[in-house]
Amino acid sequence: MPKKPFIIPVSLAMLGLSVAMLLPFFLMILTSLKTMDEIFAPRFVWVPERLDWANYAEALQRGDWGTYVSNTLYVTIVTILVSLLINSFAGYAFAKLNFKGRDILFLLSLIGLMIPPQVTMIPVFLVLKHIPLAGGNDLWGQGGLGWIDSYNGLIAPYVAGSFGVFLFRQFFLQIPQELDDAAKLDGMGRVRAFFHLYVPLSKPVFATLVALKATASWNEYTWPLVITNSDEMKTVQLALSMFRDENQVQWDLLMASTTMLVIPLLILFAFTQKYFIEGIVASGVKG
Amino acid sequence: MANIALDRTIKLKAAAKKRSRKLNSDPIGYALILPFYLFLAVFVLFPIAYNLYLSFTNYNLSEIKWVGWSNYAALLHDQFFFISMKNTLVYTAVTLTVTVGLGLIFAVLLNYRLYGTKWIRLSFFSPHVTSMVAVSMIWMWIYEPSHGIANSLLEALGIAGKQWLYDAKWALSAVIFTSVWKALGYNIVIYVAGLQSIPRHLYEAAAVDGAGGLRQFFHITIPQIKPITFFLIVTGLIHNFNVFEQIMIMTDGGPLHSTTTLVHQIYIRAFQQFQIGYAASLSMVMLLAIGLITAANFRFGGRGSTNA
Repeated sequence: MPKKPFIIPVSLAMLGLSVAMLLPFFLMILTSLKTMDEIFAPRFVWVPERLDWANYAEALQRGDWGTYVSNTLYVTIVTILVSLLINSFAGYAFAKLNFKGRDILFLLSLIGLMIPPQVTMIPVFLVLKHIPLAGGNDLWGQGGLGWIDSYNGLIAPYVAGSFGVFLFRQFFLQIPQELDDAAKLDGMGRVRAFFHLYVPLSKPVFATLVALKATASWNEYTWPLVITNSDEMKTVQLALSMFRDENQVQWDLLMASTTMLVIPLLILFAFTQKYFIEGIVASGVKG
Repeated sequence: MANIALDRTIKLKAAAKKRSRKLNSDPIGYALILPFYLFLAVFVLFPIAYNLYLSFTNYNLSEIKWVGWSNYAALLHDQFFFISMKNTLVYTAVTLTVTVGLGLIFAVLLNYRLYGTKWIRLSFFSPHVTSMVAVSMIWMWIYEPSHGIANSLLEALGIAGKQWLYDAKWALSAVIFTSVWKALGYNIVIYVAGLQSIPRHLYEAAAVDGAGGLRQFFHITIPQIKPITFFLIVTGLIHNFNVFEQIMIMTDGGPLHSTTTLVHQIYIRAFQQFQIGYAASLSMVMLLAIGLITAANFRFGGRGSTNA
């Protein structure tokens, strides 16, 4: 098909807009390299005269970033490992196995897709507070703090993941019955067939969910805000949100730490775009 | 005697049926869904019921007391509840309309195989991958009244700067602008995927009939893309209705409660003032709203997608 005459002007307009979309990121990076004098100069300074990399070193010293990063990585990795394992199990069972009440149970589990976590944060907080025999609690979940301000408290509410189950089920449903028949002929049980045939086939689903869950976990703010209270348990986003000083905001340092949290993820995204987009599209268009 | 014989045949038949079902039945399925269901039950299903119970109590984390409907009665006299409801509705309506509308327009343009499509898509989608905390920080700097870029640009144009996040008249608009910037790319990506599934021959036939670009857009694109629009509206309603992070970080509901939202009220009541029961009744209002949206989805959504 030949290109239409308006393609060039529209392309230019959209390219211009896309630069405008990125402007906040440019400002973030440029500001992170300015001195406070340039930031508070009477005329707006676009590009700093001398790149002030010291801002990054100083931003890292404001707070225990090593702890925040390792907390977040730990929570992210455990959430991904556990939830992918149990989500793929459940997705396989819902798609390929026959058992009584299967469809009802699947429909019921979709409630997890509809209810946003903000709406149940109070009861979930209380459930975690009353986990038996944890954090000084007795057998009846009384007396202590349970999983409040702990890794388990940060992880447990995110493990179920109805979306993952939904995505795995969709994928497994497309796999033809012949595969199961062949597995049966080879004398494979259901569970072995899952590990030896289904898991290798579903690498793209795993990749998509890793990309989506890693981003969500790294970016999470509300739940760490609710469930943690000590500095040792802070995650990166929570730490960033509390970075501001009470009186005067140190924009250079704030933008330096924001840059450090944003840029790695953007680079990762640029290289794994396909999986992000596939996941997003799978949730929207095919769902 | 006849009765016993009949009884026997029925029993035999039932047993045979059971056996054949057993052949095709995989009880291992229960074991495979068990871990998932355990977490779902404890952290999603039970909390919904628990929240309902809490909404009928007064609870400050030490003493719990059944109070019947009084939290709901108090809700009707709570001016902050009504302000937050109004803010949430305005926020949702504006953010959703703009992101869905602009999302469709930009997606249609991108679908013309423009130059630099990949780059354009990447830059529009980048804010979606960025955390709301980082986005809020960046935009607070943009909105900074005396040194931020927003006012610097306005003043260069000879327009007086605004106090943005510190002005009750502008704060909500400023937050909405930020949210649109963040969410637009998501809508575009979904719409582009939907546009690519529209059969090309519809447009070719229309072109043969002499329909121009604009008429094709209104008579083919919009009707064909209806299920996607519906999906974006339903999920967008729920998502935007739960706006919290940017509010908490950028304005903390202020100034003068001009940006407080329902979830912000829930957070404050529950985790700053420890009025757990009252906050739970606010959550029930949210649950009810989400239930209504979902019910509407089932009622009208199915019809929309079968038409497509």
